[in-house]
Amino acid sequence: MSSLGDDLARRRIAVCVGPGGVGKTTIAAAIALGRALDGARALVCTIDPARRLANALGLAALGNVESRVSEHKFAEAGLRPKGTLFAMMLDVKRTWDDLVTRHAPDPARRERILRNRLYQQMSSALAGSQEYMAMEKLYELATDRDYDVIVLDTPPTAHALDFLEAPDRVLDFLGNETARALLAPAAAAGKLGLRLAQLGGGYIAKTLARFTGQAVLGDLGEFLQGFQGMYDGFKERAAAVHELFSRPEVGFVLVTSPSPVAIGEVLAFHERLHAESMPIAGVVANRVTPDLWPSGKPPSAAELSRALVAAGAPDGALAAKLARTLAEHQALAAEERRALERLFGALDAPRAVVPRLETDVHDLAGLARLCERL
Amino acid sequence: MAHWTLLDRRLVIVTGKGGVGKSTVSAALALIAAREGKRVLVCEVNAQERVAPLLGAPPAGGAVREALPGVFTVNVTPHEAMREYGLMVLKFKTIYDAVFENRLVRYFVRVVPSLAELVMLGKILHEARAEERGLPRWDLVIVDGPATGHAVQLLRVPSALLDTVPGGPLRHDAQWMEAMLVDPARTSLAIVTLPEEMPVNEAIELDAQVRSVLGIHRGALFVNAMPEARFERGEAARLTALVAAPPPLGPAAQAGRMHAVRAEQAARYLERARAALDLPATVIPLLPVTAWGRDAVEEVALAIQAGGAR
Repeated sequence: MSSLGDDLARRRIAVCVGPGGVGKTTIAAAIALGRALDGARALVCTIDPARRLANALGLAALGNVESRVSEHKFAEAGLRPKGTLFAMMLDVKRTWDDLVTRHAPDPARRERILRNRLYQQMSSALAGSQEYMAMEKLYELATDRDYDVIVLDTPPTAHALDFLEAPDRVLDFLGNETARALLAPAAAAGKLGLRLAQLGGGYIAKTLARFTGQAVLGDLGEFLQGFQGMYDGFKERAAAVHELFSRPEVGFVLVTSPSPVAIGEVLAFHERLHAESMPIAGVVANRVTPDLWPSGKPPSAAELSRALVAAGAPDGALAAKLARTLAEHQALAAEERRALERLFGALDAPRAVVPRLETDVHDLAGLARLCERL
Repeated sequence: MAHWTLLDRRLVIVTGKGGVGKSTVSAALALIAAREGKRVLVCEVNAQERVAPLLGAPPAGGAVREALPGVFTVNVTPHEAMREYGLMVLKFKTIYDAVFENRLVRYFVRVVPSLAELVMLGKILHEARAEERGLPRWDLVIVDGPATGHAVQLLRVPSALLDTVPGGPLRHDAQWMEAMLVDPARTSLAIVTLPEEMPVNEAIELDAQVRSVLGIHRGALFVNAMPEARFERGEAARLTALVAAPPPLGPAAQAGRMHAVRAEQAARYLERARAALDLPATVIPLLPVTAWGRDAVEEVALAIQAGGAR
């Protein structure tokens, strides 16, 4: 089996997926950096980077536009990249606005949508909106720019699978013909219309209005009407994104920590990707406790005490603390190893194990050390 | 903390970044309250159920189920909550079925922004204020909440509706829900974090949002998985020199050094959290690898009680 790094070297797009809190953003940045060091024009698109990582990538004040990581940042880190590294942070609201602007037939229509109350809520709050926009942005970057490689970090989701389903869910909302047909005349007439009332002898309409109030339905009608005619453009685009995601130049990178909960989620995600024939580049087990005592029982306090004496630094109390610390460390390492065996046993894909580092990775030098492990 | 009475409220909402141990803390709080003789309901919000399994009981699903004596759990899902809410408003099941099984109506329910959140929150708050024969149905309802961003979205729904919906039953419900949420005598919110960079940043941002956007009383900060400060500063410095020694000393020094560095960083992030958040803080020690589940919950409960919190 090829290494994860070899596999990634043939991909033009890498999508990092996995549960929240496992270090997806850091791994995404490290993959992009690795390719840039090797000579590629590489971009990492992050969702919500830690502040210091954002600073390291020069992302301090930028939203939704790509910026090049400056040469002096590399020089500071003692790195001499053969290529170039770009980074950006996804701005969901801006991406929505851009999408509407691109598809709106005229400025009046564009303004009507952008000002709609429901649109404003939806573009930030509708479940799946962030995921949908991450995919949308990726498609734009992949088709309109000339990067050799694009690495996408994905939003933290309650369920990892939300990411794949989000665009369909959002489009289902925008494209519901029945709802639009029923609500459009209502909005035009400025009141909850007759057509809706015709349905089920009026009582469904009345019941709905009892729940939501008429204003909400009015907004929804106006909103759906605004999207009329644009929906096909959206739909084509979503189909194109879907098609892009099944090409071999794309690779999903499953990122996990060694915790059983995270591994369970990653396995479910893998199953799903597999069922949909999505290309899998490999799996990264991040923040793994290194095995410091590979064979046999860890040393006792007495053994360590003798070793400290031999080293010219006798200290019984320290020896006892060290024995306990190493034993706990190894117990954790063993537990994680068992969890990872379950993970690696279940998937046939290139893998990388990244040990937990002493400090958080928050500069280019740290990222460079990390990408040596991939 | 002399008069800290988090668990004397009717509703406690537990939130924080994903993976910080919200479910464990929720389960431990429930255990403590139940041992004081309270009847407790723990609500998870459309989640992969964790609390009942942590307590060694099977998942409850959508129906309230007793996990341990005095501790009940439920997983609140939009579908079930909508059904209950619909039945409450419409009174008759036949009407509910006729209306809600209609495909178009189902579409509205799913897409009208925040309706799912509203009915889930409504179900939880309804449980928290329900009375039977003049007595509260539950002495305490604990919400094992969604992670930060989703929690704010959920808890903001009533006030957002009050801003946008002019009248009708939705507005009426939003009114009493909002009143209950912002009543410090009945409701309090607890933030869980780890002593690490991202979780602490998120806790600080969350705290600001709770104050400025939600207006819910903030009652506690739980800093989970705090490594023990085992090595003194001088010892830690000596360990660095010993890492290169041959086994067994080298590997032991390496483990010690990793521990010392981690503990030192954790202490800094704990300090940062304490300085930035004006909240009674309870520190829960990092547990050595234990059987995941009931034992861990017991230990966390002990730590919370030892910290003076209840």
